[in-house]
Amino acid sequence: MSGSYLARRLSSALFTIALIVVVNFILFRAMPGSPERVILRGTPNVTPAQLEAARERWGLNDPIFPISFDAGGVVVSGDNQFFKFVGATVAGDLGYSFVARGQTVGDVLAQRIWPTVILFGLGELVAIVLGLALGAYSGWRRGGRVDLVGNGVSLVLYSTPYFLLGMALLLVFATGLRWFPTFGMLTAGVTYPDLGARLVDFLAHLALPLATVSLGLVGQYAIVMRSSIVETLSDDYVTTARGMGLSEGRILRHHALPNALLPTVSLIAINLGYVVAGAITVEVVFNWPGLGTLAVEALTARDYPVLQGVFLLLSVSVVLANLVADLIYGLLDPRVRT
Amino acid sequence: MAQSARVRFGRALLASALLGATLLPAGVPALASNHEPLVLRAGTDQDLQVLNPWNSVVVADFEVYTLNYDLLVNFGQDLEPVPGFAESWDQDGTTWTFHIRPGMNWSDGEPATADDVAYTFQLILDAVDTDYGCLGQCYLDGYLLNAGVTSVEATDAETVVIETEFENTLLLQSYVPILPEHVWSEYTLEEIGNHEGVEPFLNDDLPVVGTGPYQAVEFEPGNFIRFARNEHDWRDEQGAPDEVIIQHFSSIDTAVQALRTGEIDYVRGILADQFDALRNEPDIAVVEGIANGYTELSFNTGGNSEGYGGRTAALSDPAFRDALGYAIDTDALVEATLGGYGTPGSTIIPPFHTRWHVPPENPRTFDLAEADRRLTAAGYVLDGDGRRLDKDGNQLNLRLTWPDSEAENATNAQFMVEWFGDLGIEIDAAVTEEGALIDAVTGPPNGPADYDLYMWGWVGDPDPTSLLNFFRTEEIGFSSDSFYSNERYDELFLLQRAESDEEQRLAYLTEMQELVYAEAPYHILYYDAELHAYRTDRFGGWTLQPSEGGTPLFGYGSFGYTKLTSLAEPTPEPSSAAPSGAASPPPSGGGETPASTDSTLLILGVVALVAVIAVGLVLVRRRPSTEEE
Amino acid sequence: MTAADAAFGAPAPRGLAGSPVGLLVRLVRRPEGAFGALILAVFAVLAIAPDLFVGPLQTAVTAPGTRLSPPSAEFPLGTDELRRDMLNLTVHGARVSMAIGLLATLVTVFIGAVVGIVAGFLGGRVDAVLMRITDFFLVIPTFVLALILTPIIRDLVGSGSAQVLGIRMTLIVIVIVIGITSWSSTARIIRSQTLSLKERAFVDRARVIGAGGGHIMRRHILPNVINLIVANAVLVFAGAVLTETTLSFVGLGDPFQPSWGQLLEASRTVGAPGLGAWWYFVPPGVCIVLVVFAFTLVGGALDDLLNPKRRGRR
Repeated sequence: MSGSYLARRLSSALFTIALIVVVNFILFRAMPGSPERVILRGTPNVTPAQLEAARERWGLNDPIFPISFDAGGVVVSGDNQFFKFVGATVAGDLGYSFVARGQTVGDVLAQRIWPTVILFGLGELVAIVLGLALGAYSGWRRGGRVDLVGNGVSLVLYSTPYFLLGMALLLVFATGLRWFPTFGMLTAGVTYPDLGARLVDFLAHLALPLATVSLGLVGQYAIVMRSSIVETLSDDYVTTARGMGLSEGRILRHHALPNALLPTVSLIAINLGYVVAGAITVEVVFNWPGLGTLAVEALTARDYPVLQGVFLLLSVSVVLANLVADLIYGLLDPRVRT
Repeated sequence: MAQSARVRFGRALLASALLGATLLPAGVPALASNHEPLVLRAGTDQDLQVLNPWNSVVVADFEVYTLNYDLLVNFGQDLEPVPGFAESWDQDGTTWTFHIRPGMNWSDGEPATADDVAYTFQLILDAVDTDYGCLGQCYLDGYLLNAGVTSVEATDAETVVIETEFENTLLLQSYVPILPEHVWSEYTLEEIGNHEGVEPFLNDDLPVVGTGPYQAVEFEPGNFIRFARNEHDWRDEQGAPDEVIIQHFSSIDTAVQALRTGEIDYVRGILADQFDALRNEPDIAVVEGIANGYTELSFNTGGNSEGYGGRTAALSDPAFRDALGYAIDTDALVEATLGGYGTPGSTIIPPFHTRWHVPPENPRTFDLAEADRRLTAAGYVLDGDGRRLDKDGNQLNLRLTWPDSEAENATNAQFMVEWFGDLGIEIDAAVTEEGALIDAVTGPPNGPADYDLYMWGWVGDPDPTSLLNFFRTEEIGFSSDSFYSNERYDELFLLQRAESDEEQRLAYLTEMQELVYAEAPYHILYYDAELHAYRTDRFGGWTLQPSEGGTPLFGYGSFGYTKLTSLAEPTPEPSSAAPSGAASPPPSGGGETPASTDSTLLILGVVALVAVIAVGLVLVRRRPSTEEE
Repeated sequence: MTAADAAFGAPAPRGLAGSPVGLLVRLVRRPEGAFGALILAVFAVLAIAPDLFVGPLQTAVTAPGTRLSPPSAEFPLGTDELRRDMLNLTVHGARVSMAIGLLATLVTVFIGAVVGIVAGFLGGRVDAVLMRITDFFLVIPTFVLALILTPIIRDLVGSGSAQVLGIRMTLIVIVIVIGITSWSSTARIIRSQTLSLKERAFVDRARVIGAGGGHIMRRHILPNVINLIVANAVLVFAGAVLTETTLSFVGLGDPFQPSWGQLLEASRTVGAPGLGAWWYFVPPGVCIVLVVFAFTLVGGALDDLLNPKRRGRR
């Protein structure tokens, strides 16, 4: 992997993260309601002294940006809201939640990140494996029965909002058949005799949300993979390979698949951010105590600091995931050392 | 719909809490030597984030701290004062003497004494002198300040003497938990009060130390709180549950499903249609309580005068507001918005306060012709196009809004647009973001008072005083959102507050209700219902508090929990067959202990999130190159 | 932005030809194209004149039925909790959902096309900066950004029941938010097309005769990417409908102009799934799936038509 590839990837990721922080700052300034009042929300009988104290605490009396203009001309000051915000963000200080009184946004996020990592990570994994397999097979046997049915199902799944899928599964398998619990990640407050019992309880709760996330993604991945395979199979070198008398299976495994996977996976990586939106609503439907439920609750309560924290966390995670994948990939695959 | 606590910036205490504790048979090793502990599970759609009582805002928060702690004086079945932390009390004018129960202990075995009361109350008195002016979310300080408390002193271990500024009995209704000095005094006022710039004290060092019937032993913020019975409880009467779990649901529909499947035992704040459906379910009982609060249509009574952002001076005219009262069919609103559960609104003291609610002498009825007649008589005539004009000759076009957190008001708005439209008054109806709305309805000098009509609600305390506060002139710029100002009202407010003769106080309160009803800064649209449901196959002894219009749980304090009886041996929990030793760690690493709030976990989580995704991507990307060899 | 973009959305520059009408004819000659177009035509008719089929939108005041009644002869799709006819709401929901989708698509494609053409044509620093910003929007979870932006922009544009093209301001805000957050993939596609067009002889000729950059972009580049824009717009439309649905589902819709997503949200708020009131959420749910499905089919077919080799390498 050449230095320039590394540098390009790194600087691109850094730029994106910097932009995320800037956007977050602007959003914080733009919150409805004057900032100090919003901060003191829920506080009855706010006195002017308290408002002033809040303004001071949050540095709202400082200029917003390092460079500002007043009657005397251009003022350059290190004491500004932007620097403070960036400094605090870098230090991991995301402020305080309105709703979770007294807890920092960091604390609130920490409580919710694991459930999302598990649900989203597993769902993504299952969907990639199943989706790519289905897509590859459909594309290979283009026009066959699997392709027709698979493609149709994929398209319908792709067209279905995740939460709708989740509601359907919940209705049928939890409230209807009662095969699975209706909510949560674990039965609350139960003390388990052993790890196994806990795992069983956890898996029972995980089944439906995981199925929803996976089903929602499988359609998309299958579509992408199928179209990629179909295209690869029409490439010149495949035709050449056919002409050389290679078997179809060999062509698929050794030529079509590898080449179709590359663009597919790149697109999956790029689509991660979009997938997150779906995961959010799935969590809400199943009362899954993750970042998605948190985001929607924060939205309902207009808990902007938490909402921004979720945005920052998810954005940076997706950017870093893309970066890490890029770097390792670059390390392993000689062709991208350009 | 109405399940949310309509707590605003005022000190609205939620009269009832949404608690959903379900009794799932769970194994608690400490208690269960031979049997499964009996667990009550109650579901709520309110967020569970608070163990430090000073940070309480929503009903669930109040339910949590009244399980953990006692008030100085608790509430009985009909909200009468009964022994709490104090066993008895005497009043001599402005001096109160409270006698603390001898030999009472905190849940950790330490003695609970008069010093703890003095410590707790002094926290509030001290906080008033800080820049911040109050503790935490500032909902509890008012209970002492409204009662005019000036000093509190423990004269010996069993006696507390409290001086008040004026003679009143509000002290007996103060919703302030008595905290253990030996635990809390290790923290500064700033840490306890969650003041900016210090590490806040969250009280999440479990188990919580209190004198209440149950103490929190496990806390998953935003998910559930598990409480275990207080082994040092002073009460003679104790509830059957060995444990109580309050479980958060992000949707009330999920909670209702969980009640049906028996995953939980109690749900607060269900919706009208669910209520109807649950009526016919076996082993489930429903209860319709009256909320201690209301939803109102508020007028910007400042109109377009200096400092006020209303569109027309008509808003300042009581005759105009009165006439519009005839154009509101409160029955239709109850039917459509509340699904028939609730009571059409009238005065500013809800019927929940059976002693104090006095229906208006001349109630308005829905009659558009009468409204038209009154508007015309008051000088608001129609122009040639059938548009109503104000006295300046401008067409009346009023903005109507409500907070986005109370979406059901959109239904009310559909009606108002139609009704007021029939009178030639055009209504411009749109929702407003809650934070922006709070700003907009703040009066001068602290806010723009920039609205015409808006809908929201208030929830009251056991005593109606807090619900009367925001019509006072001195509250303009603070909690007053109608900017109503009336000298007689202000005078009556102080009189009723200091009146200990019940009959005389009722006379004052009657006059206040009449006054506001007649001048109509608010039209009370309806008093919401409290719709709860619970399972009857595991626990008995469900007792309403108050006995009329009350609910078994989420009432006032821990009363309802102490009345519960057990009906059956718990069925074995599928996932935890045997009572067992310590909880095993979650397979996922999912934070089950408060320690998970540690920021290292956050970092680990981020790393894991990145790693999981990256590994997945690399795996699939990697495959082609290996296969290609 | 979506998997469908990924699947169909990056046609190679060759073979862009034919008038829009000719394209349409060729589109409906393909079975999946015809099927998709048929579904869309039905919904388009419903959306254009809902009053013709079910009368004006019912409100809580004009509602004719009883609360949450199941389908009957009088109300073939039942009623909601405000006693309104679900058929009436679903048909009017088509108008709202499709209108928001259309407007959001216009905004999205406009931003994407401008950024793509400018970046591709000017190149250099401008291109680098614009593409960085594009990548930013491509990578981040834009839905979470939309969650934050919606209340903020609503506050900025102010409340009030002002309408734009018959759509209330609250929903126009949704349009703006979708536009802001989803233009990036369009920009990428248009840029790569512009890059190749720039090298062609006719652009050079225009340059030689002294045409300015703006003129070339408008007169020479734009006409040559317009088919590509149309094909992309179809897929953007599908994404916009989905995004609007999801935003409404988390409570950012407008009950005064219920879209399908808003109806789903209302049904969930009332607890319809638990009450067995399937008629409340099945009609809007099916409509959403059908419309997105149809757009995806049409988008795929268009892509086939515009791209003889199916798809260019990324």
